[in-house]
Amino acid sequence: MITVGARKAEPGPNGSRHEPAGGAMLGSPSNSDDVLVDCRSLWKIFGSRASAAMKAVQERGLGKTEVLKEFGCVVGVANATFSVRRGEIFCIMGLSGSGKSTLLRMLNRLVEPTSGEVFVKGRALSSLDAAALRELRARHVAMVFQSVALLPHRTVLENAAFGLEVRGVAKAERHRAAEEALRKVGLGDWLQRYPRELSGGMQQRVGLARALAVDPEIILMDEPFSALDPLIRRQLQDEFRQLTKDLGKSAVFITHDLDEAIRIGDRIAIMKDGAIIQIGTPEEIVLAPADDYVAKFVAGISRLHLVKAHSVMVPVERFRAERPDVDPRRLVTTTPDADIDRLIDLILADPAPGIAVVEAGRLVGVVTVRSLLLGLKGSPTPELAPV
Amino acid sequence: MDTSTVAELFDFWVDEGQYWLADNAAFLFEWLRFVFEGFYGGALAVLEFSPWFAVATIFGLLAWRIVSLSFGALTTAALAACWAMGLWAETMSTLALVASATGIALVLALPIGVLTGFFPKLDHVVEPILDLMQTLPPYIYLIPAIALLGFGPGTALAATLVVAMPPAIRLTSLGIRTTPIQFVELGKSTGMTPAQMFFKIRLPFAMPSIMAGINQSLMMAFGMVVIAGIVGSGGLGETIYEATRTLDIGKSIDAAIAIVILTIVIDRLTQGLVPSRKDPR
Ligand SMILES: Nc1ncnc2c1ncn2[C@@H]1O[C@H](COP(=O)(O)OP(=O)(O)OP(=O)(O)O)[C@@H](O)[C@H]1O
Ligand SMILES: [Mg+2]
Repeated sequence: MITVGARKAEPGPNGSRHEPAGGAMLGSPSNSDDVLVDCRSLWKIFGSRASAAMKAVQERGLGKTEVLKEFGCVVGVANATFSVRRGEIFCIMGLSGSGKSTLLRMLNRLVEPTSGEVFVKGRALSSLDAAALRELRARHVAMVFQSVALLPHRTVLENAAFGLEVRGVAKAERHRAAEEALRKVGLGDWLQRYPRELSGGMQQRVGLARALAVDPEIILMDEPFSALDPLIRRQLQDEFRQLTKDLGKSAVFITHDLDEAIRIGDRIAIMKDGAIIQIGTPEEIVLAPADDYVAKFVAGISRLHLVKAHSVMVPVERFRAERPDVDPRRLVTTTPDADIDRLIDLILADPAPGIAVVEAGRLVGVVTVRSLLLGLKGSPTPELAPV
Repeated sequence: MDTSTVAELFDFWVDEGQYWLADNAAFLFEWLRFVFEGFYGGALAVLEFSPWFAVATIFGLLAWRIVSLSFGALTTAALAACWAMGLWAETMSTLALVASATGIALVLALPIGVLTGFFPKLDHVVEPILDLMQTLPPYIYLIPAIALLGFGPGTALAATLVVAMPPAIRLTSLGIRTTPIQFVELGKSTGMTPAQMFFKIRLPFAMPSIMAGINQSLMMAFGMVVIAGIVGSGGLGETIYEATRTLDIGKSIDAAIAIVILTIVIDRLTQGLVPSRKDPR
C-alpha cells in the first residue's frame, strides 16, 4: 500500500516544491530537453467555419462571443501556451466549459488544434503520421478518464494490461507488468475480479494502473477523481502525487477544484473561457492572484498548507536587533520550504525563541512564534512586525 | 393520355421485365435456388438423420445450460409432444427452413449492418430498402418469386430472407454506432489500429445489440412459416395451409401448437445467449 498524506516525505529534487528565486521558467517554453510537453499558441475552434473564424480572430482579434455570433463557432481553447517539465505535475484548473478537456486532448491529438503546435519530447504532433501517432500514444502518453472507462467484460488484470495488449506484448509479459502496476496502486489482491465488483475509488485506481502499466513518461488525467467522495478523493490525491513522484512521471492533471490543484500540482494553470489567465506554483496563485477572477477563487482557499518557512520568517538583522540575547546561528535550523507542520513540530520541540532558516548553508531568516502566527493570519508582511 | 393507359403501360412493363428476367437471368435464379435448397436440404438432413429423442434431448440440454434446468425439462417434454402429435418430420422441416433462412440472412445482414454502422451516409440507400422489405406484403413478391425460383422450399426461403434480414441489419448497425464515446477515446488514446478498435472495443459493445438482432431475425422467420407453407415449403406451414383448406381444424391447431413450441424454445435459447451488458461503473 502507498503511504498516505506524506507530502513532506517526497524524495529527491523532484519532490521539492520550492522554486529558486526568479521563477524563470513560468509558462515560457525553455529549450532544454527537460521539457516534455510544449504547447505554443494553441487554439481550438469548434464548428464548420472554424478556419474562417480562426483567421478573423488572428486578423481582427475577435473575442469568444463575437466568434459565436459571427461564425456560429465555439472557441474551446484560446491561445494556450505552456510547457510541462520532466517529473512535474502540471494542473489545469477551470470551471465547467472553460476548455480543460479540449486542451488536454490536444496534447495527444485526440483533438486536432485549429492553430498552434504541440511538441511532445521535442516532436511536433502535427508532423506525425498515423503510425507514429499510435506509437506515441501507446508508449509515451497515457490517459486516465473521469469515467474510468474500464471494459466491463474483462477482469481487473486484463483491464490493467489493456494498453500493453494493444501494443502486442505477449500475455505472460503484459500480465506481469499489469500485476506490478496494480500492486503499486494497492490492488494486488483484486486481479481476477470484474470492474463492477469494485468501488468507484478502486476502479479509478485500476484506471491509473492501466496507464502506469505501459510505463509512459507523461500521464494525462481528465478530472479523474471528480466523481469520488471527499475522503477517498483526498486519499487518492495524495497517493497519486506520491506515486507519480516516486516513479518520476510527468502528469497533466485536470480539475475544476482549486483545492485539488493545490494539493497535487507543482504548477497550476488557471483557465477561463478557453484562455489560460495565470500559470504559477500553488503559492504564487494563492498569494499573488493575477486578476480578480483568480482572486475570487483563491479567497476561499486555506493558506495553511501553503505557508512555508521563507514566507513567514523575519530577516536576520531584525531578529538580531530585537533579540540581542540570542545568537541566531545556534538555533535549530530548517530549510526555506519547510511547511507549517514541520515548523510547529520544531517550535514545540525546542524552547529557543526561534528557528533559523538556512538555504545553501547561508542563514536567510528566523521563524519565531510571533512571525508564524502573523503569517498564518495572512498578514501581508510578517517580516515588518515586531518579533 | 388518360390514366388507365398509364397503369396498363406500367403493368405491361412489369410483366415484360419479369419475362426478361426469366429468359435472360435464368442461370442466376437457377443458382440461387440451388444454393437455397442446398442449405435447407443440408440442415434438414442433419435433423432427420438424428432420431427424435436425440434431437429433443440435445435441445433440452442446451436449454438447461443456457436458461435453466426447468426450462430444459420443459423443452424436452414439449418437443416430445410434437413427436406424439405425429408432426415430428414437419417440425424438423420447419426448423430446417427457419435455421437455413436465418443463417443466410445473417451472413448477408451482419456485414451490411457493420458497414452501415461505420458509414451513416449509407442510410440514405439502405433505410428505404429496409422499410420496403418490412412493409411490403409478402404476397406481392411471392408470385414473381414462384415464377423465378419455382414452387418449393427455395421460394419459401427467399420470402423468409426478406423479412429476416432487416432487424439484423438495423440492430447490428445500431450496436456499432452506439459504442460509448469514452471507450472510443480509450481506444484512440492507447494507440489502437482501426482493426483493434473494431475487434476489441466496438464489437464487444455491439454484441448485445447484434444478438438481439439475431433473435429478432429468427422470430421474423418463424412468423413467415405459414405463408411459406403456401408456396410449398413443406413442414408445419404447409400442414396448416392444407388443414385449413380441408377444414381439418384439429390438425391445424396441432401444427400451430408445434410452431409455438418451436418458436418459444428458439427464442429463449437465443435470448439466453445475449451477454448482459454489465454497467462499467
Ligand atoms: N466536440 C465539440 N463540438 C463543439 N463544441 C465543443 C466540443 N467539445 C467541446 N466543445 C465546447 O468547447 C468548450 C470547452 O469544452 P471542454 O469540454 O473542453 O470544457 P471543460 O473545461 O472540460 O468542461 P468540464 O469541466 O465540464 O468538463 C465548451 O464550450 C464546449 O461546449
Ligand atoms: Mg472536461
